Parts: sequence; structure tokens; C-alpha cells
Amino acid sequence: MNEEVRVSEDAQLSEGTPESGAHEEPVPEKEEPEEKAEKRPTVRVRIRRGGAAGDPEERFDSFEIETGPRMTVLDALVAVQSAQEPALSFRYSCRVGMCGTCALKVNGRPAWACRTRLEGLGDEITLEPLTNFPVLRDLAVDMSPFFAKMKRARGWLEPTSAAEKAPALIAPGSRERKRIEPHIECITCGICYASCSIVGHDSDYLGPAALNRAYTLVNDSRDALGLERLLEVCTEDGAWRCHSQYNCTESCPKGISPTGAIKGLKRRAVTGGVKRFAASIFRGRAPGE
Amino acid sequence: MTSVKEPPATNKPPVWKISAWRSMYPGMWSWVLQRLSALALIVLFPIHVMNPYIDSVRITMLLLVVWHAMHGIKVILTDFGFPDRHQRKLFWVLCVLGIAAFFWLAYMHTEYWRFMA
Ligand code: SF4
Ligand code: FES
Repeated sequence: MNEEVRVSEDAQLSEGTPESGAHEEPVPEKEEPEEKAEKRPTVRVRIRRGGAAGDPEERFDSFEIETGPRMTVLDALVAVQSAQEPALSFRYSCRVGMCGTCALKVNGRPAWACRTRLEGLGDEITLEPLTNFPVLRDLAVDMSPFFAKMKRARGWLEPTSAAEKAPALIAPGSRERKRIEPHIECITCGICYASCSIVGHDSDYLGPAALNRAYTLVNDSRDALGLERLLEVCTEDGAWRCHSQYNCTESCPKGISPTGAIKGLKRRAVTGGVKRFAASIFRGRAPGE
Repeated sequence: MTSVKEPPATNKPPVWKISAWRSMYPGMWSWVLQRLSALALIVLFPIHVMNPYIDSVRITMLLLVVWHAMHGIKVILTDFGFPDRHQRKLFWVLCVLGIAAFFWLAYMHTEYWRFMA
């Protein structure tokens, strides 16, 4: 085994080092593609700078960068930071559209930096921090109001005593599963929150992502917080504040429709209310007693 | 006055700046225009009541009412479970139906007035 490994290492070494005569020859040939690489198209990236942390002056700085095939906005930012402006602040983690930390505004529309290709964005690309969030610095925003609202909507599962004892079975074809399915893939990137004009108008509004999360839990038979959560999210600053503008649905990179979730919450609140009203009449009591 | 550190201000372009409107999609425009049509109708309705024979007011009101209803129908349908993934198509279909309804109603209307005259 060891020998085999060594052999392959040797093979790699001899391939990689241009020591032998056979490898010296193609060198001039190799220069050509490099020359071509130098002629790569460039784009101008306009980045909004400044923010709260030590650099309050808001301004746009422009950087010229060379583009490559399949280059993303995040690649462009890394290129700017490593070669031109080390102080540039932005946030990212997974680079593959899984963590939701790299969201920003590309040419005015919120998007993930890591999954937005430069192709088709034009010769001048404008990058701004997400709307509706406090800017920490440059493109990095403070996500805490967003997560505080997730908390307000009780964005976690409180298992029922039955669900605590044994794993609950929710059949893939069941109505419950089908209701929840289109809404569970949220990675809390904040794009919907940034695109929502109602969040901009009412800073207490829970926002699309928190309501979407609440919808998945309200429909979940394993969850014990049902009515409490529904009452928390179906308020003036909750589901009822939504005006069905669909900005969140149109901009969610995961294809989720928070608007649909909010409408689902409204329907649930109304049917629940009607049922209670009817039941109270049947029991001969005034509604709400 | 207070010793509490000011939290960073929320990043929000003012409404009069174009950048505030660049991320808007058809559903948003539909909503904005519905609100504007409502305001215009509030202004036009008393004028219409005072003098119902101003053609320009009648036709403008018809257009506004049709537009207003169109967005309303969209919201009602989606509220009652019309699939969200088709909401954009629904918007365009209702636009076409709204325009057709406008011309048809305008035609019927002029015929009616011609008949009455
Ligand atoms: S619903 Fe979509 S846009 Fe909103 S936070 Fe989740 S993944 Fe991001
Ligand atoms: S870096 Fe994780 S989603 Fe873009």
C-alpha cells in the first residue's frame, strides 16, 4: 500500500516539475493562454462603504476587477479585498448557498453574493448592504433584529408530551407534510426581510421569514405551542400587517413563498376564530367568554 | 442625553429615491397602483356625483375602478388558496382581463348614453 502511494506521489511530482527536457518545450505555448488571460474582460464594482463601526461616512467606492468564467459576486468581493482594499467588510461563510450569510444588494436587488454570477450584471455592478437592517460596516449588516423577530414568533419546536416520548410519524404524502414541505428550506438569509416594504414601513412587523417559520410550526402536529404561537403571530404587527405585495416570494433564492405562509396563517386564524365563535354560540355563551 | 450607545441606523433608502423602488416586482406595482387608484377615486367620485356628464371623468373612473378591482380579485383569490407560484401569471392574466373589461364597459357605456340621448 505504502509503495503504491509513493509511486503515485512520484508520478505527480514528475508531472508537476518542468525539470526534464520534455516539459521545457511547451513553455512558450503556455504563455499564450496567459496572455489571453490578461485580456480578460473587466468590470467596475461600485461598493457602498461606511457604516457604524469606525467609518461612518457613507460613500460609493469603485474597483476595477478582472472577471473569469463562472465568477460570482462573492469572488469579486474577495478579489477586491485581497488585491485592492483589505479593509472592505462583507460577510460570508459556506460559499455555496447553504448558510445564508452573504446576502447583499446586487444592482438594487437583494441576492446571495455566492450564488450570483457576474455574467449578465453589466459592466458596472453596484453592491449595497441589505435594506431594512442596520449597517455595521460596508456590506456587513446587523442581523439581530431579524433573529429577535424569529424568537418573537417562537421559531422553534416545543414538542408535545407524546412527541417527546416517541418519534412522531408524519407520512410524506400526508396533508400536513404537504402543507409544511414548501416552507421548510429557509436558511434565514434575510433577503425576504430586506425586500419587504412593510418591514421598512413598520419596524415591529415580524417579517416574512419569521412568519414563514411560524407557519411550518403551526401546521406541525408534534408542536405543543399551537394556539399560543398563532396568537403571537396573527397580530397587527404579524400576519395581518402583510399586504400581499409578493416582494419576499419573488426574491427568496430558495423559492419559498412567505406570502403563501402568511396567507395560510391568516386562514388558520380565521377558521379557528369562526370555530370558537360557533362553539360559544352552541354553548349558549357570548363569544370570547 | 442618555449614556446608552446609539444603535446603528436601519439601512433604508428614502421613498423619493429610485433605489428604494428598484427591488419592486409586479405584485408590488399592482399594490401601489391599487392604492393610488383608490386615492384618485376618492377625488373623482364627488366630482362625478356633482356632474355625471363629464366624459373624461366617467372614463377615468371606469379605468380606475377596473384596475382597483383587478388587484382586489388577485388578493382574494390568493387569500383563498390560489397557488402562489402562479401569482405573477395571475397578475398578467388579470391585467389582460381588466383591459378587456375596460374597453367592453366603455363601449357599452357610450352605447347607453347614445341610446339615452
Ligand atoms: S424565506 Fe427565503 S429569502 Fe427569506 S430568509 Fe428564508 S431563505 Fe432567505
Ligand atoms: S456564503 Fe453561505 S449562502 Fe452565500
